[in-house]
Amino acid sequence: MKRREFLQSLALAAAGVAAHSPADRAAAEGMRDAAQIDPSDLTWGKAPCRFCGTGCGVEVGTRDGRVAAVRGDRKSPVNRGLLCVKGYHLPGFLYGEDRLTKPMLRLADGSFEAISWDAALDMIAERYAKVLETDGPDAVAMYGSGQWTVHDGYAALKWVKAGMRSNNLEANARLCMASAVMGFMTQFQSDEPMGCYEDFEAGDDFFLWGNNMAEMHPVLFSRILETKRQRGDVRIVDIATRRTPTSDYADLYVEIRPGTDLALANGILQQILAKGWVAESFVRENVVFQRGNEDLEEIGWGCYGAQKDRYTFADSGRDSSIEELGKFLADYTPDKVATLCGIPSAQVETLAEMYGASNRGTVSLWCMGVNQHTRGTWMNNLLNDIHLLTGKIGRPGANPLSLTGQPSACGTVREVGTLSNRLPSDRLVTKDEHRTTAEQIWGLEPGTLPAKPGYHTVDMFRALSRGDIKAIWIQTTNPWVSLPNLNRFERSPGDGRFIVVSDIYPTPTTQVADLVLPSSAWVEREGVFGNTERRTQQWNKLADPPGEAREDAWQIIEVARRMGMGHLFPWGEDEWHEAMYEEYRRFSLGTGKDVASYAQLKETRGMRWPVVDGKETAYRYAAGRDPYVTKSKGVHFYKAKKYGEKAAFWLRPYQPPAEVPDDEFPLWLTTGRVLEHWHTGSMTRRVRQLYQAVPKAYVELNRSDAIDLEVGTGDRVRIVSRRGALEATVEVDGRGKPPRGTVFMPFFDESILVNQLTLDAMDNISKEPDYKKCAVRVERVARG
Amino acid sequence: MRALLFCACLASLALVSGAARAEPTSAAERAARRLFDGAPPAIPHDSAVGACVSCHSMAGREIPSMGYAPASPHARTAGIAAVPCKQCHVEKRTDEVFVGSTFRGIEQDLRSGKRANPLAPPVIPHMVFMRENCAACHTGPAARSEIRTSHPERANCRQCHVERVTTGVFAPSRETSAQGR
Repeated sequence: MKRREFLQSLALAAAGVAAHSPADRAAAEGMRDAAQIDPSDLTWGKAPCRFCGTGCGVEVGTRDGRVAAVRGDRKSPVNRGLLCVKGYHLPGFLYGEDRLTKPMLRLADGSFEAISWDAALDMIAERYAKVLETDGPDAVAMYGSGQWTVHDGYAALKWVKAGMRSNNLEANARLCMASAVMGFMTQFQSDEPMGCYEDFEAGDDFFLWGNNMAEMHPVLFSRILETKRQRGDVRIVDIATRRTPTSDYADLYVEIRPGTDLALANGILQQILAKGWVAESFVRENVVFQRGNEDLEEIGWGCYGAQKDRYTFADSGRDSSIEELGKFLADYTPDKVATLCGIPSAQVETLAEMYGASNRGTVSLWCMGVNQHTRGTWMNNLLNDIHLLTGKIGRPGANPLSLTGQPSACGTVREVGTLSNRLPSDRLVTKDEHRTTAEQIWGLEPGTLPAKPGYHTVDMFRALSRGDIKAIWIQTTNPWVSLPNLNRFERSPGDGRFIVVSDIYPTPTTQVADLVLPSSAWVEREGVFGNTERRTQQWNKLADPPGEAREDAWQIIEVARRMGMGHLFPWGEDEWHEAMYEEYRRFSLGTGKDVASYAQLKETRGMRWPVVDGKETAYRYAAGRDPYVTKSKGVHFYKAKKYGEKAAFWLRPYQPPAEVPDDEFPLWLTTGRVLEHWHTGSMTRRVRQLYQAVPKAYVELNRSDAIDLEVGTGDRVRIVSRRGALEATVEVDGRGKPPRGTVFMPFFDESILVNQLTLDAMDNISKEPDYKKCAVRVERVARG
Repeated sequence: MRALLFCACLASLALVSGAARAEPTSAAERAARRLFDGAPPAIPHDSAVGACVSCHSMAGREIPSMGYAPASPHARTAGIAAVPCKQCHVEKRTDEVFVGSTFRGIEQDLRSGKRANPLAPPVIPHMVFMRENCAACHTGPAARSEIRTSHPERANCRQCHVERVTTGVFAPSRETSAQGR
């Protein structure tokens, strides 16, 4: 008898003889059952979360080709095993009963009919070819998102730019991150942060600008809270226009008037200069001063008069100096700033003192409040400016770190460059040498890539409404919920446009489509995402897509093949993911944005670029940490060739928002998200637990405003702006508490479209719309 | 011996009084609050009543008119202790659903605490990470009978019960096996 059999027989004998108590009998039965049923019959694989830009690692458990569970990946350095409520409920979003499973064509009577993939792909190829022939490459367009995988985005880039020779390629990151992109580009000539998530443990003071981090980046916020719990001396400052769950954890809550963050940041700069807190040798060695166009008449807001249909303002810079800065900041003394912002002047001084303290590591974090702003690039510039002036940049615990809201806004839109003016790895279509590199890698005739940028997102949809764009293909996003001033994009039947929408569920956007394609989602296909801290993360296909759903990149490649552009995608039907990624990677090598090899990504929980000799980089521009830095100490902004490898400090003034409350529309409307729902809610609302927590959009009122209106929580009100009106239920003193004179509504609810009220005013440089500031009035409807 | 009897009486008294006010959670109830076994349960009551930990303390607490507030299973371990409760637990405010679902998640398997032999302590069949406070689920009036411990007085559970982290078995290195032969 072998040793193992002997032990088993011993155990069974013991069970028979010694099972004299009910508990022991139960235990013996338990043992037999355990032998039959093993709970670990799931197959586990790694993937980054599908939702926000944090990029938490999850382990995905599958059974019979379906996802049955997820758990936080303890090997992921991002989240160390923890998730937020959306992450824990990831499996639910894949299995709504109304998943799209077949290509659907709209018929003349408005209804949809299922058609074959061949018929659908042939139709797209024919329609696009026809528009190209009759109206040229300016009349075709593609619109994607920061939820595209790197493969989807790269396929789109190649099809639109190299195949159709059009630059009308955009992504919804324009509505989300474009101001951060332009901030980094104008100052460092390279997009994306120098810092990383290790700043959450290394930092002392955390400034949150326009950023409800407890709800929007909960896992990162809990890293800060944990640092605070362990170290004690950590401070959190929440600078916002509305009290949120984040404010509850802040040591200092600074409630400013909408749009006056520009004044506050200048006020901080003024104090740093006046009190002598400038890191002088750092500035001398690493910073140049620039000043741009500040002519309000010329800049406008992108939505009035001649700018109503097209917004093409271009900024221009000239050399400035720290002496000019001193004079410029005379307008931003604590008293003047305090009056503009509606805060005590002592608060301005306190914030400046915190930023100015040379012995404290300071991290600035920001998100949509700063980016979705008619002067969003300016605001990004000012935040980077504060860090440049104090030398708190490029070292652990001292950095400006912009947060992102989509899983691959960085990896796909910003790095692959799926925007109308960009090519991969910081390249621009307007630069000859950048187009030449692309032509070489793609094997194109020299000088054939178009140099004129295409439409930015808002102008793209304006052009579609006008009829200047005749064919558009929309993937992984829901613009008929998320675009500002939605009413102006309403579609009239028989308008001659051809709109294709690839998605996983029916949405208001599929409702306006001529052709709807079913996409596979997340782990139903192989992919790569890139997160906020430059971490590129790969996953394998772990589950089966439903019905005939196919991945977005495959859809694009098949259409390209049918248009005679198959040579751009020379890979076989299977196993093309690695080959395509490695071609894309060639763009990044040697640029300081070198992404990791596919083989390395498969083995790791992501790698932060630049990856040189297989090693990732936590802190960019930092001597001894970034392999591209040639200096022996300090920082080296080696990408900013235009400024002599120094960073540009931009002087940026305060200018008022596009629309401010008046007698007719006396309240500010600001919009945003809630913890439970992600973006337009098409995924998270299909998860029972998330829907049941926050089923419908609502309007948050200040208690005093509610008393004036004689309404309370649960009552119905009508919210009216110059552009539209809608009804919603009131919430007073809920999780968010706007100040008197401000109301807040989330945008996740397709049945209460808050973007019918918002204004399509935009940032003058990034062309990112301002969803945070417009004027409304609220009327009582009926008692709830 | 007398002292032991006294203790047992006290314990049974506590059990009886607890049972009078709070029922153990049923398997169906438990499952209904979660998307799948391992997902965070929804909050089954108005969550605006106060700070979560004032009732869901490390020991659990009887709340008049509401029932028994189970202890938090999340012990204060480094790295996650400061996580806000509502980052993962959200209140259920309606019975409606947006769209039905075909999702089938893993269910709790109560029979999986394997034992080396019938008298050996069963291994812990679930992840201990984020569930470090064993007493939260395995003791108290809300603990389900299937998983209630018979020996709550032994404070250090993991002295005898260990977490199963792999289904694999020990494979000696080639050198060791060669010696064995």
